[in-house]
Order: sequence, then structure tokens, then C-alpha cells
Amino acid sequence: MELQLDLSLSTTHNPIDGSNLNNKGFDPHDQILGLKPWSHDGCLLDKKRSFEDAFGKFKDSPQALSLLLWSGHPNDEDDEKREKKRLSCRLSKMNEEVMEGDDLVVGWPPIKSWRKKVLRQQPSGGRIVNNRVAGGGGSDLINSKYVKVKMEGVAIARKIDLKLFHSYQTLTRSLITMFGKCQQLEKDNANYRLAYQDKDGDWLLAGDIPWQSFIESVHRLELLRNGG
Amino acid sequence: MLRMASSFPEEVLEHVFSFIHSDKDRNAISLVCKSWYEVERWCRRRIFVGNCYAVSPPMVIRRFPELRSVELKGKPHFADFNLVPDGWGGYVFPWIEAMANAYPWLEEIRLKRMVVTDETLELIAKSFKNFKVLVLSSCEGFSTDGLAAIAANCRNLKELDLRESEVDDPSGHWLSHFPDSFASLVSLNISCLGSEVSFSALERLVGRCPNLSTLRLNRAVPLDKLANILRRAPQLVELGTGAYSAELRPDVFSSLAGAFSGCKELRSLSGFWDAVPGYLPAIYPICSSVTSLNLSYATVQSPDLIKLVSQCQSLQRLWVLDYIEDVGLEALASFCKDLRELRVFPSDPFALEPNVSLTEQGLVSVSAGCPKLHSVLYFCRQMTNDALVTIAKNRPNMTRFRLCIIEPRTPDYITLQPLDDGFGAIVEHCKDLQRLSLSGLLTDHVFEYIGTHAKKLEMLSVAFAGDSDLGLHHVLSGCENLRKLEIRDCPFGDKALLVNAAKLETMRSLWMSSCSVSFGACKLLGQKMPRLNVEVIDERGPPDSRPESCPVEKLYIYRTIAGPRFDMPGFVWTMDEDSALRLS
Repeated sequence: MELQLDLSLSTTHNPIDGSNLNNKGFDPHDQILGLKPWSHDGCLLDKKRSFEDAFGKFKDSPQALSLLLWSGHPNDEDDEKREKKRLSCRLSKMNEEVMEGDDLVVGWPPIKSWRKKVLRQQPSGGRIVNNRVAGGGGSDLINSKYVKVKMEGVAIARKIDLKLFHSYQTLTRSLITMFGKCQQLEKDNANYRLAYQDKDGDWLLAGDIPWQSFIESVHRLELLRNGG
Repeated sequence: MLRMASSFPEEVLEHVFSFIHSDKDRNAISLVCKSWYEVERWCRRRIFVGNCYAVSPPMVIRRFPELRSVELKGKPHFADFNLVPDGWGGYVFPWIEAMANAYPWLEEIRLKRMVVTDETLELIAKSFKNFKVLVLSSCEGFSTDGLAAIAANCRNLKELDLRESEVDDPSGHWLSHFPDSFASLVSLNISCLGSEVSFSALERLVGRCPNLSTLRLNRAVPLDKLANILRRAPQLVELGTGAYSAELRPDVFSSLAGAFSGCKELRSLSGFWDAVPGYLPAIYPICSSVTSLNLSYATVQSPDLIKLVSQCQSLQRLWVLDYIEDVGLEALASFCKDLRELRVFPSDPFALEPNVSLTEQGLVSVSAGCPKLHSVLYFCRQMTNDALVTIAKNRPNMTRFRLCIIEPRTPDYITLQPLDDGFGAIVEHCKDLQRLSLSGLLTDHVFEYIGTHAKKLEMLSVAFAGDSDLGLHHVLSGCENLRKLEIRDCPFGDKALLVNAAKLETMRSLWMSSCSVSFGACKLLGQKMPRLNVEVIDERGPPDSRPESCPVEKLYIYRTIAGPRFDMPGFVWTMDEDSALRLS
């Protein structure tokens, strides 16, 4: 197939597009000569490179040069194989990326990070508050504390507002329900343990310090299956 | 003709050229002949550089020795969505350093998505004697210390606009660095600052600048300060409020309403953080002349939004959260006949279930009711081909259409078909379409429509779409005016890219992440196309440590006359001839 990367300039008729953008003004000899000629030959690309070339002012006839011939069979077997390889290349990346970003897919939906930050700072995470009686806006920041939560064996991490919870029990129960929406999970609290990473980066089992101190020191959470 | 042109004295040509402001026209002028080129370059006062790596500062300085105004852009657009790793580049310091020597009379600097340090701001403050305009849009890397230097030294400053920049703000006292004699400010936008500013300094500043027409405050300015500020600046045309919340009290309300009704010139309103609906009627007195309303930070529900919007019959631009819902957009369509731009943002983009009743119907209503509508950004959770066809037929004047269906690869929810025909109708009917963002379930067909019809398209954003190289090929071979193409998570690979290699030289940039372009193809492209910088961004380590056929994580290709850049971090590799030798 055509996917030989050492292939040189090709001006052969393009079977996809009858008008063939790719061979205006070409001498058939160029085909054999490879790419060298156009960098020397003024008739193909203007030798004088002006400032405008970089900024959008182009003469009307930029020659469309190809480094490859269009075969008309975009995805043949080789591509399929490549696709599989690609997936395996990406597999290890998945978990990382998910943990790094706040989103389920990094950068999607396409909302500016700045806007996301503002949304997050809204009291109750952007949800509506009707005729709320409030003091200064800035102080609301302390009313939420977002941490990342991972569930053992689930690729996708979530972010939750800890200030919405008031005990270890409600937190654990809510996490199980939340992850249970995507996964078939047993709903019994006893089957799970909650681990957290504290300020110093150490992983500990949740429950051994008072709730308030926990809220202050927790950085990340992970829900573990017992005997898992 | 030629003889006549050359017989003009240079002064006459220069005077004629001074009436020509568009960059495109100036570029065209300089291509007429050598003498026009010379005259033009000496009298060019303003340039726009869409990619700071496409040309080097010395090249610009050599050609245009008398610039007064420079606009530069840095990182790729996808940086807005966290797709460009920290430390990628886009540093403005080398530009400022070069310009400090070359352009002592530089008056304006506008930057977008660039890294600006405090050192840079200090250099600006002390280098340019008559500095007037500083606009930093989505920039980062600086703090209020740098702003203090600008405030203290730029005696003729007219505009300081920080837009959506990320500013480290240890101190709100930087505002007090504006000298007491300073009164030239026309526009101040500090809406992005996180911490409190000194109110007394702010009030004094506002009070002594008689020409102040734009003031955008940050969220830390409480509502009870707003009335005072407004009374000091009744000439304001554009206002961004601070936090718009306080305990509902009749005296506070009437003071605020009184202050607003004193501002007869107000045309644009934004801010409204944490808005308490009870205070919204305070702006009703001036609503009939408001043309631009940004409520996209106001978590206010549909009934209150409808009441507000129905007062704004001159409205041309509305940014709002999806709390407006279909019913609110229907009201908008019936009240605001002059509407030109609509943006609807998601209030809870990461929720699995819809939290509001906002569907394709809202957009259909606005497209039917607002004949001047030509720019749309719309986040929603469901769409149909029928709706898109209707929108396209209603609004053939559309120039910017960005639709984001939040869940990737969502089909037409009624027919379960891909949305190819819907988007196809958009490009077919909207002949002047310049910008398009696709979402939903899409096959290669949609790209065939785009390549065939979207002849004026300049920027295209694609995510989770297409089935093969053919899709990308249609776009690159068909869209004659395409300047920026950004693609993520699409099965587009080597073939489409290599076949259309030369097309890339006519474009400003191409971004591809999580696609199927192999490292080998990147190398070939970099080797064979010396005017392109082909940059592979891979945080997994050197791309040559994997097989050549392994796809690269991210690829950023742009044309340049400056050659490879020198400030690449460890996770960026440029594919020029040398590096290809080095790496192979």
C-alpha cells in the first residue's frame, strides 16, 4: 500500500477529487525527482518568502504538494492493525489522564479552565441557590472542599465536595451509590473501606480521626473493596 | 498606472496608506511593488502576529521599524481546555526585550495565551515612554506585583484589561500604585482577580478618571460598594459588577437602583457573580438601552432571567447559563429582535443527567425569532438533524456556529442517526460560515459536506468524530480558506496528513491529539516541509523510544519563517531535518 514514508512528491491523478487540487502546474518529471525540485524551482513555490506568508496573505495559487499519493482506500488492513496498536499504546495512559484532570475525559466538554474554576467556586458547585441571603461572595470559597475520589477497579475518578457530608457513614454510602451508577456494586457499606491521602501524602484508612480533622487534612480518597 | 504610482512622492503614498487599517489590505499594498513595500513598512504602526513562533522579533523589527501597537498570540487554542501541558511555551519576554530597544514609542501590547512574568511587566513599565494599552487575555505567570509596576510607571495608560488571565494576587494594594495625578484611564478590567482589591484606591481611581468608560470588577467587590462606584462614574458604558449578592434590604436596593438609573450611557453589563434574583430589578431602569449582557456567572433561574431579558429589547449579545432553559430562549426570541450573538454555557457540565430543561428546541426558537443572529455557542445534551436543518435554513447568515453536545458521540436522539446531515445543512446553507465546532455522532460524511460547502471556513474544531483518513482529507483538500484546524480523539492518520502536506503551509496551525498520526509520519513531514514546525508533544518520553508506527500523543504543526523554536520543554520534540537524523 501507499503508506511508505519515504515516498516522495506525487502528482498522480487523485481518484477522490476529480478536480484534483494536487497537480496544478506540475511537470510530470517532478514526480520522479522527488521533493528537491520544488525548493529550487521558483515556479512551484515563490522563492521570495515574505512576512505575509507567515501571516495569512497568500497569493492565489499555492500549489498543493503531497508527500503521499491518495489511494482512495483510507483505512485498509494496515490501518486497522495500527488502530489496535494505538489502543494498546494508549491503554496505560488512560488511568493517568483521568486522575490528572477533573473531567471524565481531559478537556471535554470544552469549557475554559477559567470558567470551570468559577463554576467550582460557586456556592454548591454551580447549582442554583434561590434568593439566597448571603454575605460577601469571596467567603463562600470556604464552604466547599473538593477532593478527588477513586474507586478500586474503576478507571474513572470523580471529584466531590466534602462539605456536603457530615460523617464517615454518609460519605461512604454516597460514594458507593455514586460509583454504583456505572458499576454493579454491592450496596453494603461493610464490603468497602475508605482510604485517604493526608496533607503529607500518606495513605491512611479513614475513620480513626474526628470528622472535622479529617476534612481538614484529606487530599484524595479511594474506596477499596474488602478482600479485593 | 505603474508610472503614475511611482511618480507620487512618498509622503503622498504614506498619507494615503494611513487611511488603510485592515491588516489584509496593508499586506496587499506591500505586494504591489518595491517602493510601495518600502513606504508601507515604514508607516506601518500596528501588527498582529497570530502565532508568536511564526516569526522572530528581529524579523518583525527589521521590516517594521516604527510600530506603535503589537498583538501576539501564544499557545494553541486547545490550551483553554487543559490539553497543552504546563510549560509548553508561549513566553513573551523575548519579544518585549527586543521591542524595548527597537520601539521606545510603543503604545499598545495585546497578548493572548502567553506566559507573562512580573519581570516582563516591569520591563514594559520602564521601557515604553508613552505606553497606553495593555490587554492580557488568558495569560499567566504574573502577579499583582507586575501590575503594580505598570500602575506606578505608565503615566498615560488608557486601558488595562486582564480578561481571563490567571494572576497570582498576593496583594490588593497594587491599585494604589496609580499616582494621584493619574487620570487617563479609559478601560479597566480586573474581573479575573481572586483577591480583594483596595476599595478606597479603587474608588479614588474611578473618581479621578473622567474618561473611564469600561470598568469590570472582580467577584471580591461586594454589592454594597457598587452604588458608590457607579455614582463616581455615571459616564460608564461597560460595567462588570462584583458579587451581586447581599441580604435583601429596601434601602440597599433603592440606592443601587438609583445609582444604575444615573448611568445613562451603560450598554454592556457583566459580572453578576452569585446573583441574588431580588436585586436584578435594580438594573431594569437602564435595560432598554443595554446591548450586551453576560449572565454566564449568574446562577439565576429561568423565570428571573425571562423577566430580565424581556426588559432588554436592544440586546445584541447574550451570554447565559443553561438555567435559561428552552422557555427562556423562547422568550428571548420574542423580545430581542436585534440579537446577534448567543452563548449558552452548561451550569453542571459533569453531571450525568440533565439538570435543566434545555434542548435543541431553545436554539431553534432563537434561530427563528432573531433574524440577525449570526454567532452561536451552545452547550446542550440532545440534538436532532431536523433541528439543525431548521436552524440552517432560518439563519443562512450564520458566521460562527459552535455546538457542544456534552456527551461525546451522541446521535440524533429521535432517529439515532449520526448528525452528519444536520451539520451538512449548516455548512450548505450558511455560505459565510467562518468558524465551526462539531460534536455528537459524526461519520466521514460530515467532512465531505464541509469540504464541499464550507469554502469560507477559517477555523474548525473537531472531537470524537469521523471514521477514517478520508474525513480529514475532505477538510484539508476542500476548505480553501481554512487557517486553524484542531482535532482531538479522531481516527485520522498519516495518509490524510501527508497527502495534504502543502495545505498546511497555507494554514496558521493544525492541532491533533489522541489521533492516529504516527511518529514516522511526523518525522517525514518535518523533514520535507522546512517551512513547517512539526512539534510532537509526548509526556510519555522520547517518541523514538517507541516504534515509528506508534501514534504520537499530541501534534502541533504551524508554518513559520523563524525555524524551530529554542524554548521547547523536555516533552516537546521538533521534527526538522537535523532532529530526524539525530533521532533515527
